[in-house]
Amino acid sequence: MNEAPSAPLVRVRGLKMHFPVHAGLLRRHVGDIKAVDDISLDVNESETLGLVGESGCGKSTAGRAVLRLYDITDGSITIDGTDISNIDQDKLRHLRPKMQMIFQDPQASLNPRMTVAGIVGEPLVEHMSLSKNERLDRIYELMDAVGLARSFANRYPHEFSGGQRQRIGIARALALHPKFIVCDEPIAALDVSIQAQVVNLLEDLQERFGLTYLFISHDLSMVRHIADRVAVMYLGKIVELAPRDELYATPLHPYTQALLSAVPEPDPVRESQRKHIILTGDVPSPANAPVGCNFCTRCPKAEDICRQIDPEFREVAPGHFTACHFVTDTTRKTAGSTAGNEANT
Amino acid sequence: MLGALAAVAIAPPALAERGSDGHVNIIYWQAPSTMNPYLSGGTKELEAASLVLEPLARYDQDGNMVPWLAESVPTVDNGGVSADLKTITWKLKEGLVWSDGSAVTSADVIFSWKYCTDPEGGCAQSEKYNDVADVKAVDDRTVTVTFGVAKPFPYGPFVGAQAPIIQAAQFADCLGAKAPECTDANFGPIGTGPFKVTEFRPNDVISFEANSNYRDPAKPAFATVTFKGGGDTAAAGRAVLETGEFDYAWNMQLAPDVLAAMASKGKGQVVSAFGTLVERIMINLTNPDPALGDERATAKHPHPFLSDPAVRQALSMAVDRELLVEIGYGDAGRPTCNVLPAPEIYKSTANDGCMAQDVEGAKKLLDDAGWVPGADGVRQKEGVRLSMLYQTSTNAVRQDFQALIKQWWADIGIETELRNIDASVFFGGDPGSPDTFQKFYADIEMYANNFDGTDPESYMANWECKQAPTPETQWQGNNMPRYCSEDYDALVAQMAQTGKLEERAKLAKAMNDKLMQEYIIVPLVDRGRVSAHSNTLGGVVLNVWDSELWNIADWNRMK
Amino acid sequence: MLTYTIRRLLLAIPTLIAISLIIFLLLDLAPSDPTANLPLTIPPDVREKIRQSLGLGDPIYIRYLLWCKQFFVNEPLNMLEQWFGWDIGGDRLRVLSWQTRSPVVDLIVQRMPQTLWVVGMSYVVGVLIALPIGIISAYRQYSWFDQVGTFVSMVGFSVPTFFTGVLVIVIFSVWLGWFPSIYDTTHQVTDWQSFLFQIKQMIMPVAVLALFNAAQISRFMRASMLDNLNQDYVRTARAKGMRERTVVLVHVLRNSLIPVVTVIALGVPQIFGGAIITEQVFKVNGLGQLLIISIQGGDLPTVQTLTFIFAVLIILFNLVADVLYGVLDPRIRYD
Ligand SMILES: Nc1ncnc2c1ncn2[C@@H]1O[C@H](COP(=O)(O)OP(=O)(O)OP(=O)(O)O)[C@@H](O)[C@H]1O
Ligand code: SF4
Ligand SMILES: [Mg+2]
Repeated sequence: MNEAPSAPLVRVRGLKMHFPVHAGLLRRHVGDIKAVDDISLDVNESETLGLVGESGCGKSTAGRAVLRLYDITDGSITIDGTDISNIDQDKLRHLRPKMQMIFQDPQASLNPRMTVAGIVGEPLVEHMSLSKNERLDRIYELMDAVGLARSFANRYPHEFSGGQRQRIGIARALALHPKFIVCDEPIAALDVSIQAQVVNLLEDLQERFGLTYLFISHDLSMVRHIADRVAVMYLGKIVELAPRDELYATPLHPYTQALLSAVPEPDPVRESQRKHIILTGDVPSPANAPVGCNFCTRCPKAEDICRQIDPEFREVAPGHFTACHFVTDTTRKTAGSTAGNEANT
Repeated sequence: MLGALAAVAIAPPALAERGSDGHVNIIYWQAPSTMNPYLSGGTKELEAASLVLEPLARYDQDGNMVPWLAESVPTVDNGGVSADLKTITWKLKEGLVWSDGSAVTSADVIFSWKYCTDPEGGCAQSEKYNDVADVKAVDDRTVTVTFGVAKPFPYGPFVGAQAPIIQAAQFADCLGAKAPECTDANFGPIGTGPFKVTEFRPNDVISFEANSNYRDPAKPAFATVTFKGGGDTAAAGRAVLETGEFDYAWNMQLAPDVLAAMASKGKGQVVSAFGTLVERIMINLTNPDPALGDERATAKHPHPFLSDPAVRQALSMAVDRELLVEIGYGDAGRPTCNVLPAPEIYKSTANDGCMAQDVEGAKKLLDDAGWVPGADGVRQKEGVRLSMLYQTSTNAVRQDFQALIKQWWADIGIETELRNIDASVFFGGDPGSPDTFQKFYADIEMYANNFDGTDPESYMANWECKQAPTPETQWQGNNMPRYCSEDYDALVAQMAQTGKLEERAKLAKAMNDKLMQEYIIVPLVDRGRVSAHSNTLGGVVLNVWDSELWNIADWNRMK
Repeated sequence: MLTYTIRRLLLAIPTLIAISLIIFLLLDLAPSDPTANLPLTIPPDVREKIRQSLGLGDPIYIRYLLWCKQFFVNEPLNMLEQWFGWDIGGDRLRVLSWQTRSPVVDLIVQRMPQTLWVVGMSYVVGVLIALPIGIISAYRQYSWFDQVGTFVSMVGFSVPTFFTGVLVIVIFSVWLGWFPSIYDTTHQVTDWQSFLFQIKQMIMPVAVLALFNAAQISRFMRASMLDNLNQDYVRTARAKGMRERTVVLVHVLRNSLIPVVTVIALGVPQIFGGAIITEQVFKVNGLGQLLIISIQGGDLPTVQTLTFIFAVLIILFNLVADVLYGVLDPRIRYD
């Protein structure tokens, strides 16, 4: 499944999203927050690409930028064959039905003054010519699909629980028959008990409607559960991208290794034997990223070259990309064995 | 009201002149709150009411009494005032009618007295009716006022804008405690004046129209009047002098340069009239030396050099009164050489020599008196230096005056130290404070004073010996110079016995001249009242003795 | 909502009675003398008589109860008589002003029109210009429009109306002669011509006050818009592919208006309070001017009645603001 040969549905190359920083009385441009700094990835039709990373590393920004919810700084985005990287907002609007987003905070992302029917129905009014009854049918259909009782149609978002709100958000995203959905930590704000329900719902829907997901999360176990391939982000860059099993089995990048070492094992015996890689120091500010490798300030393997030259993001094995000076095809065995030991013993 | 309408309907068509000049706009920067002058003592109410309500006699621009609703002004000479000065008999003009057409009778006059003297009414003008024992009708047009005491000046009741005649019929139910409940009457009194109220908006605006029953068929020239109130002085001045929206603005208390700039727009002019307010220098005839302790500034110790008349005269001669006026008051002031500058009949001309500054004369006078300049330029005689403390209240104009006068006195060899005291302390009269104008712990002091009305009797009595403030009287009294002259006291006593106006005038002038020629008081500026009117408004005669609008019947539009 | 409103109204009654007592006590404590402004020539014994005739001799509780009776019983009865032409009879003393010796309520009724016309209109105009300015300023934050808007608001807010008022009078009345500098309160609008005159005499005071009001409200609108523009639901609306206009005017604006509308409602009592300074500058002589001259003249019944009516309005519009909040924001529910 992870080696699907079809052309990717989403193709991102060299995407940059920099937020300008203004300061002083005259609000002069004094620098940039490089929230997303040169990332490239593909998402194949009907697959789920997981995007993981610590808080603040730029996942949400990347997800929004891919959908052109920002005017991007640089790079190219092609979705379903259309290059949307520089297209103007009005044309983009007509492409919106194809690509949707489920937001991190279900409460904040729903307009408090609109009813469920209003929220779900609004895009239908804008993009489809349906009669009132047809529209209502569609709303009910969507509510059924996400497991909301029809009688809730005229309620306001604040009258729902967190899980129900996220269902509203999902129904809304599904309204226009999208192909591609960016799920920005759709379960992070929910209770653990409800998280599984929502994830299962997303998987169901993917199956039923042939959806493609960019699934953003900082929860490695959840990503392992849902994603086909996984990309790891650190400080605005993707440091490693690989098929799920390969990534979890043989992480190549020191950062991925550190991340995975922190995931608790369900089996207490193995858990007690595991070696934790503790990262020291703070994540540098995206406004002031280090020279050379972004990870060099915290990397346990960093050497001089890391502080001078930014490692290239390249394919080190088929379908396995990473950006580290010390990971090469030839060194793969060594790195792999270490990682393998940590992950598999 | 119905009566008024009926009267309009049956009245013969007005002569062409009445109302032919259309509309006139008056602005008072304080708004009248009632049209009943007996319920409010404020100038704004008195003047607004004066368009409608009239007294038996009033004062003209020179302060002379002129008969108004009465045929003539009663005097001892014409028999109207009894020889014992206890009764005065007024006779109404013939054929007088109220604006509703009914006749004005002696009953109305008597009622006006009753209205104001009702103990529960809180009449603001009850002072005018002091000592009135009774008012009786002799016939329909004649009333006799009887006083409980001899009144050499019996012209309080029914004279001037403060004591007009109101209609008995309209106010019959409004006596005493009921006075405030008669809102319609208080806001729209029926009067004999040239106008009647069409709408009264308290504290805002009054609309008047010509009184079709006014006794002079040709007047008033204006058919309607708008009397707007409120705002501030500058805005009122602007509306007359700069934008021309209004024809007449009252009481322009503005800095001379501001007023001059407004007047330069050419839309209107500034008019002034002068009453009795005189800015004056008081000379301390007693020694204020602190070394004297409790006897400081009392008659026990004459002043070491100001008791010399030559020095006092020199002080007056050195002053340039014209310049003071120009700097401090502009149109609102004029130089004066009298402490009693008005009314006209009391105004002395004997002292006008002071008008011109005479520095050389002053120097010569001092030389002749033996005061010769010392090494430091300050004159002295027998070890006494002409060095003085000059005090006044804190006030920008007064401090300008002090600086100028100090310079002039320096020119004639007199040294002056200046001091200014907060007005509330200076005029506060607190016997515990050393800084009051009564205590006069200085050699020279300056302030302004005046008297109410036209009769100077009590004002001139201020300089009797017994009026000198002393520790024994808790420093009360108005005789700041501590002047004491038997001759002067005799004049005061004589005036209290004299009823004839001309005689009284002669006495008042004599007192004024005595004070002036002995240089007890150095008068500087006669401070007047200033109003503004549009260039197209004719007939304005500013009057400080009565309502400013006293002759509005004669106002007209100049073509 | 209805029971809530009724409950609040009932609660307001004891509050208002307490307020009326506090106002009365405060006014009584404040040094003021209704005869203080009379000319100095009126002697002290006459002043004392005037004070007695105004009822100042009675003890304070008698005066307070008298006012309460006059205001809460006599005035409403009088109003009923006037409105329905009834004759309830009885000799009722209304609240009388000391300065004018006429019923205070009549004074207020007489002055209401000019205050509502000028101050009310300035509020409406102020709101109408403030909203778009606030919206655009927020939408184009830091643009030149926003900078100019910020500057103008700052000027409008910080430069007192007695300065701007006199400035516009000097420019438009004195120099240009376009508008009258003194408001004619007796003017009646009867035809087109007189309507034009009414507009002309209202322009300057309305503009001056509107600038002041707009400055405040536009700042508020801007802040509220900015708050909402960065909300996730706005991004959701964009992600839905809504038009930008819909996003801003429907999603952002409707939510941003909630606090602004309540602020506008809370500001309404100020209209009835009149704009003391502006009324004075343009001689509009409305309620604000009535209040200030009553204070200056020591006219306690007028001050008491006016301040009390303001208190009623403030409480009323607080309730209106709360109810509006409930109506506009589905998250707020009373009961
Ligand atoms: N509109 C913006 N303007 C300026 N800086 C921004 C903006 N949006 C995000 N950033 C910055 O970009 C960086 C990445 O933010 P982003 O929200 O993408 O992180 P994230 O990985 O989604 O974190 P989390 O897991 O907490 O959601 C952060 O440092 C954030 O402060
Ligand atoms: S390049 Fe250097 S610093 Fe960066 S991850 Fe590799 S070893 Fe660490
Ligand atoms: Mg995020």
